[in-house]
Amino acid sequence: MLKRLFPVLLAVTVAAILVLPSFAQQTGGTLIIGRGADSVTLSYYATAAPDSEVLAHIAETLFRLTPDGKIVPHLAESHSLSADGRTMTIKLRRGIRFTDGTPFDATAVKWNLDFFRNPANRIQFQFLVSEVTSVDVVDSNTVRISSGRAFVPLLAHLTHDFIGMHSPAAVERAGGMQAPVGMPYGRAPVGTGPYVLKEWVRGDRLVLERNPNYWGPNKPALDQIVWRVIPDDGARVLALESGQIQVAVRVPPRDTSRLVLNRDIRVDRTSSLRTIYMAFNNQRRPFTDARVRQAFNYAVNKRAIVQTILGGAARVSDAPIAPGIVGYAPVMTYAYDINKAKQLLTEAGFPQGLNVTIHHPSGRYVQDAAVAAAVQAQLRDAGINARLVTMEWATYLQVTNRPVEQTDIEMFMLGWGTVTGDADYGLYSLFHSSQWAPGGSSRFFYKNTQVDGLLDQARAITDPARRAATYKQAMGIIMQDAPWLFLHSESQITALRRDVQGLIVHPTERVLAYNARVGR
Amino acid sequence: MSRYLLKRLLLAVPVLLGVSIVVFTMIRLIPGDPALLMAGQAATEEVVRQIRQSLGLDRPIVVQYAYFIRNIARGDLGRSLFNGAAVTEELGQRFPRTARLALAAILVALLIGVPAGILSATRHLSWVDTFFMVLALAGVSMPVFWLGLNLILIFAVRLQWLPAIGHETWKHLILPAFTLGAASAAIIARMTRSAMLEVLRHDYVRTARAKGVAESSVISRHALRNALIPVVTVVGLQLGTLLSGAVLTESVFAWPGVGRLLVDAVLARDYPVIQGAVLLIATMFVLLNVVVDMAYAVLDPRIRYE
Repeated sequence: MLKRLFPVLLAVTVAAILVLPSFAQQTGGTLIIGRGADSVTLSYYATAAPDSEVLAHIAETLFRLTPDGKIVPHLAESHSLSADGRTMTIKLRRGIRFTDGTPFDATAVKWNLDFFRNPANRIQFQFLVSEVTSVDVVDSNTVRISSGRAFVPLLAHLTHDFIGMHSPAAVERAGGMQAPVGMPYGRAPVGTGPYVLKEWVRGDRLVLERNPNYWGPNKPALDQIVWRVIPDDGARVLALESGQIQVAVRVPPRDTSRLVLNRDIRVDRTSSLRTIYMAFNNQRRPFTDARVRQAFNYAVNKRAIVQTILGGAARVSDAPIAPGIVGYAPVMTYAYDINKAKQLLTEAGFPQGLNVTIHHPSGRYVQDAAVAAAVQAQLRDAGINARLVTMEWATYLQVTNRPVEQTDIEMFMLGWGTVTGDADYGLYSLFHSSQWAPGGSSRFFYKNTQVDGLLDQARAITDPARRAATYKQAMGIIMQDAPWLFLHSESQITALRRDVQGLIVHPTERVLAYNARVGR
Repeated sequence: MSRYLLKRLLLAVPVLLGVSIVVFTMIRLIPGDPALLMAGQAATEEVVRQIRQSLGLDRPIVVQYAYFIRNIARGDLGRSLFNGAAVTEELGQRFPRTARLALAAILVALLIGVPAGILSATRHLSWVDTFFMVLALAGVSMPVFWLGLNLILIFAVRLQWLPAIGHETWKHLILPAFTLGAASAAIIARMTRSAMLEVLRHDYVRTARAKGVAESSVISRHALRNALIPVVTVVGLQLGTLLSGAVLTESVFAWPGVGRLLVDAVLARDYPVIQGAVLLIATMFVLLNVVVDMAYAVLDPRIRYE
């Protein structure tokens, strides 16, 4: 019986392999972008760039942060702030509809902001609007947002793609947007944007289609935008070279020298808002002594790391936050000076040098493990004997998140993307002493009352110049105090075919194609 | 025969139950917290606690396991903690892709491995033998991603004959199947060669030759068939491994199958997906073992299961 079945089975198998559905690739107006990771959810429960870069095409924000760091109205027409900085009145553009046909108006904005800020909905990025106490509809195209106290970063926070405007009717129709990942709506988002979701095959591809009725002045040019998941960095670049995709994101630095020789390909380097640092446990000896922390900063040649390991695709940090963030100013860098490092260590009571353990992730940031190894090698010249502990990300995140009295971490590497584009998110979340882990994001337990005071003040200063000056002062103290071994801010390397035009590589690590075209 | 088959299948139940207990406890014992991962670096303790609660991870592990088994009985493997997708749906989408790739790879491996093994054995210690065995050594030693990227470089970038990535048409299947099949081909070639060498020494082969049977017939009907039993065993194991997903090949060719799903799930501590995928893989292995044992009986009439 089985004997007779075997050839049949074999034939069926061969047939199953050979008869496969065919998929039409790459018609005139399609842009295919290769990226390493898929989106998780297209809803308010989005947490990372693979979500926000897609959302930006579907659910638009009230305001936008331009690549050069300006905040411009988008779905909003204008805004005004009350003298005490506590009330923001926003005029909305008229006549816009969501792609399901329902009107975009003040009621819809109120619904969206109320949903986002409601603690019961457990949205991870709720803190963006946590200071808001009420959202009121003044008339059909005017909303008033009130805060308990002056909270100036709010405008920047409203540019965040995670607070795009979704159609309330569509959320209801889909069956809601539920914690923790915003399903079922997160697979069927509806906004006002130039593109609408057509198809999403998880782990494989996500396809957007042109919205023919788009309200904005820049009509979408492409028929489709496709994001393909190509997890292997090398394969992503090869797929670009073969012409199968038109854009490859997160190109490894080692491949750029080859790509620039290819006449069909253009390599774009855009600095990102992500700062990479090694933090000290500021409450643990010997790092309670600022001289020790400064010695580490003098002992590492950041420029050499950027040039050799990162192929120049990074920028040595001259402030705790990166350029392009509202409130950034170049403050200072620690020059590479071994003698100075040794002298400071001697003054601090370590003439023989010292031993330290550095924890770091691998594969999370560009060349992270190689950077850690370079730091280790350079520290040795200053008499600092560093031991490296490499950890897989999930474990790492947990190990570095313990409260100060439980942690045994001395030094660790981490990155911080100031995704709101405003200094408050980059400085307050990390350097204000109310933000210690595990309650907050400061895993290095820095405390300086003067810095605390300045960061508190800056939140309420409405005059941009005075606010910038306050941040500059705070950053000056932080750099001097050296709670981190300051390293660099990353650049994103994106490679694209020459016939792609109008693509925006945004410093917030998103590739935006709403104005893109593909030439024949 | 059918009684034996039934017994074998019933035995699979305690095996799979054991696998489920081991996987369930192991992934919870390793460090790493899915709630913390989902909340991200910026999350507060309160948010992490709420996520943990909404995922049901705050309940005792025994209770979690009981729910898990109850749901399996209903055909529900739960939902991904990470993206909310139903695990059965996710596996249902990915397993056919993995199966397609695995079957194509094993076909490539058989088409290369068996003839190479026969040629090596029949021309034992000749240059043909040396050539194939060096090739086999290269086949098992070559890193998959290296081979895969080079194949893409040659056939997709330079020659533009085949697509670099994707899984849509039969053209997309060629490079990954070859990449994945190369190592299996090498193993099958070596196994076929040694089994054939063994069999060719037997009296019945000499008898067949002595009575004037054509050499091709001696090889194919008398020797090969007897040599196939160990080869079938190896093919079964290879196929089992291939069906559990090939994470490197899947990553290089952007072929979203079970392997990549499982590795991503482990990195994200996505418990339901890990559990579902491991159970599926264990089931595949158990079934394949049964099929291999059945194949013995087909190849060798002396083997009977009662």
